[in-house]
Amino acid sequence: MIETLGLVKQFNDFVAVNNLSFTVSPGEIYGLLGPNGSGKSTTMRMLLGLLRPTEGTARIMGHDIRTNIVAAKRVMGYVPEEPVLPERLTAWEYINYVADIWRVPRGSEREQEIEELLVLLDLRDASDDLIETYSKGMSRKTSLVAALIHKPRVLILDEVQAGIDPRGAATIKEILNGLRSRGATILMSTHVLEIAEQMCDRIGIINKGEMIAEGTMEELRVKAVGQSSLEEIFLGLTGGPDMQLIAKFLEDAGAST
Amino acid sequence: MSFPDLLILLKQDLLQTFRVRRVKGKRTEQKSALRRFLGPIVAVTIGVVIIWALVMFGPFLWPFIEDVLRSEGGLGIGATLFNALMLFALLGSIMISATTVGNSERMEYLMTMPISLRTLFLEKTIIIIFYNSMIWLVIGTPLFIGFSILSPYPYAFLSVPAFLVLMLVLVSIGVAIGGLLGLIFSRILAGRRALKQVGYALMSAIGILTGTFWYVSIYTDQSGEMFRFIFELADMVGLSSNLTPGYAVSVLTLGILVGVPLTLPELLVPVVYAVIAFGLVYATAIVSEEAHYSGWLASGSKRSSKVKVEIGERTWDPQPFRRLKFNNTISVSIWYNITSIRREARVFTQYLLGPIRLVIWMILPAIIAGESALDITGYFIIGAVIPFATLYGVYFAGYETVYEGKNLMNLQLAATNMQDYVKGKALSAVPFSLAASIIVSVIIAFISPSLILYLPVLVGSITFLTLASGSIAANAAAMGGDFKAERMITRQRGSAVQMPITGWSMIRAQLLPLVLGFLGIYGVVLVGVFIHPLLSYIAAPGFMALCYRLYGSYSHSAGVKLAQIEATKYL
Repeated sequence: MIETLGLVKQFNDFVAVNNLSFTVSPGEIYGLLGPNGSGKSTTMRMLLGLLRPTEGTARIMGHDIRTNIVAAKRVMGYVPEEPVLPERLTAWEYINYVADIWRVPRGSEREQEIEELLVLLDLRDASDDLIETYSKGMSRKTSLVAALIHKPRVLILDEVQAGIDPRGAATIKEILNGLRSRGATILMSTHVLEIAEQMCDRIGIINKGEMIAEGTMEELRVKAVGQSSLEEIFLGLTGGPDMQLIAKFLEDAGAST
Repeated sequence: MSFPDLLILLKQDLLQTFRVRRVKGKRTEQKSALRRFLGPIVAVTIGVVIIWALVMFGPFLWPFIEDVLRSEGGLGIGATLFNALMLFALLGSIMISATTVGNSERMEYLMTMPISLRTLFLEKTIIIIFYNSMIWLVIGTPLFIGFSILSPYPYAFLSVPAFLVLMLVLVSIGVAIGGLLGLIFSRILAGRRALKQVGYALMSAIGILTGTFWYVSIYTDQSGEMFRFIFELADMVGLSSNLTPGYAVSVLTLGILVGVPLTLPELLVPVVYAVIAFGLVYATAIVSEEAHYSGWLASGSKRSSKVKVEIGERTWDPQPFRRLKFNNTISVSIWYNITSIRREARVFTQYLLGPIRLVIWMILPAIIAGESALDITGYFIIGAVIPFATLYGVYFAGYETVYEGKNLMNLQLAATNMQDYVKGKALSAVPFSLAASIIVSVIIAFISPSLILYLPVLVGSITFLTLASGSIAANAAAMGGDFKAERMITRQRGSAVQMPITGWSMIRAQLLPLVLGFLGIYGVVLVGVFIHPLLSYIAAPGFMALCYRLYGSYSHSAGVKLAQIEATKYL
């Protein structure tokens, strides 16, 4: 379970996250949506202990991130948007390294699980190559295997499907659905609204660091009268594109071609 | 702090550097056993050679060493040396802890693991200590083994483990204090970009000038006065004091080696220093953790500005030199080159003052000869300005072509005329070599008034030499550049030098411009001095035309190579 309680993050005068409170229950996928710079990543980074909240706190499976971040991290798995992994290790070595840190017992059972995850995500053949030779998608898959190997009760995923091939994306979707049904708490951010619409049980939309709407798709539809798709709701709440500017650009582009 | 976590982190960090087992994957990544074990093999070879040399030739040296160390103040000499090693560690690691914290996003995968950040930064500090100690341990351990073989005292061999342990204590103190100082400096400088840039520039300049002065002092010092002075200075500032960590190490290592009887306090003091070392290392980890959370080490671009910056000018029209019109590619190239260099004060200073390190060897004979060589001093100074021109070409066009790195993709996609782009880089060096040649001209005008007549020729020739040097260096860079090299060195360990141009290409980048410069410029000046001044003014345009021709042809050659370079080289 994730509970954020009035989270605030301020950088000098700039308030990146302002009084953010939401709860993600076990067995639930919660989608955090918002435009670029709205505070999604900052929120996730606070939950992971990478940033210290200016005010407020959060609890991960009951562990307060201010007072017991190591215990909180022990139950969490995280896949960043752009994973930076140790380039001079192979995927096999890296995942074992992560498993050691999480105290996953060594032995054939662990090796078998790593093997299964690698096969599942089409990484088996490359698992003995150095990570520095991996594409972005492969790095993200490696990061996902590392996040799953210790069977986390809470998963935090930042744009997990971006840059991953359709087969990989479908696999990830199935894995996440499976984990949800086993009671995992999943918080994910994405810019692909179709994914959020299909996968998330509840959605929180944040803009300029503040939660501006939250609920199931049905609840959001009720709130945003006359707008049926998540895209319409999202754009209605955060502001749509500037059609005048677009028209001007296209006009200029048309003139120059 | 969790000790098992610390051990796992250390193991993995070292595994990445010292890979014992061969990677199973792609063949291109696999290294032969010889390459994988080259470092340890070299270290063991050095050790064996040192021990062999000591056992062979040491018996002649031993009585002298024993006399010195057993004499009054003998262990103070050892203290000075050990304290100097500690100072090296301190100076060498001032910015390392701060850079580690500043680049913490590169180890995000570690920071999200269930480990306290304190443990993580502690491990990084230990790794820094390990790398700082390695060279001293590789050289020092065989020295102590060799001397303990020679020593007639029964417990001399104990100096070897004592050295191993105490050296780590010394380096730990140095690294930790250096790290803490760096973090404190960073706190003071946080968000003060201008102050930071001025500081970097000053420190770089002081580093280059002090180093040069040091070489000159050693070279001109015939009677050993310099070393006597250094020891006196060390004594004066307390480096030989028996209260310093170096003295404690000296007593327990050199003292045991020459059989100096030990007292209980002398045995206890190193233990106290070991505790202090651990405390300082732990303090570095705590301050690093605090520095990470406070965000004051985040790079400028990631910090939100305290003052709202208004965008004053929106029109994009970079004209690097007023009143001089170039085509778009050349003017953008000049503007980009100068802008990206001047925004890193450390690099800018290194580029501008760097040639002094080479030039000093050319004017040393004049310095040593003093007044007796006054007649020819002007010629030495003319010679000194040539490396400025050629090296500015190497730095501004050669190195900076390599540092384009991933930007080469944009240039290739935009089908940029790379010949013009290279020309722009070479042109960006001209104002600086012009300034250097004008400064030199003023000096020559005072020292050798008879050469005043040739100064316009010198300034003109230097300008064109810079252009030729720049394009030659860019061509060499296109052939042998490491396009993945970074200009800002942010690695935690090892040498701070990452050569952007490697092997023969580096020699090619420097040698031809130097030969061209010395033959051409001395030829132009001397033909006037020995035959008729007018001839200099006739020869100079010829030399300039040759340089201009080389500038064109090498720019073309470099441009073609850069346009064809494969993306795998820079991505």
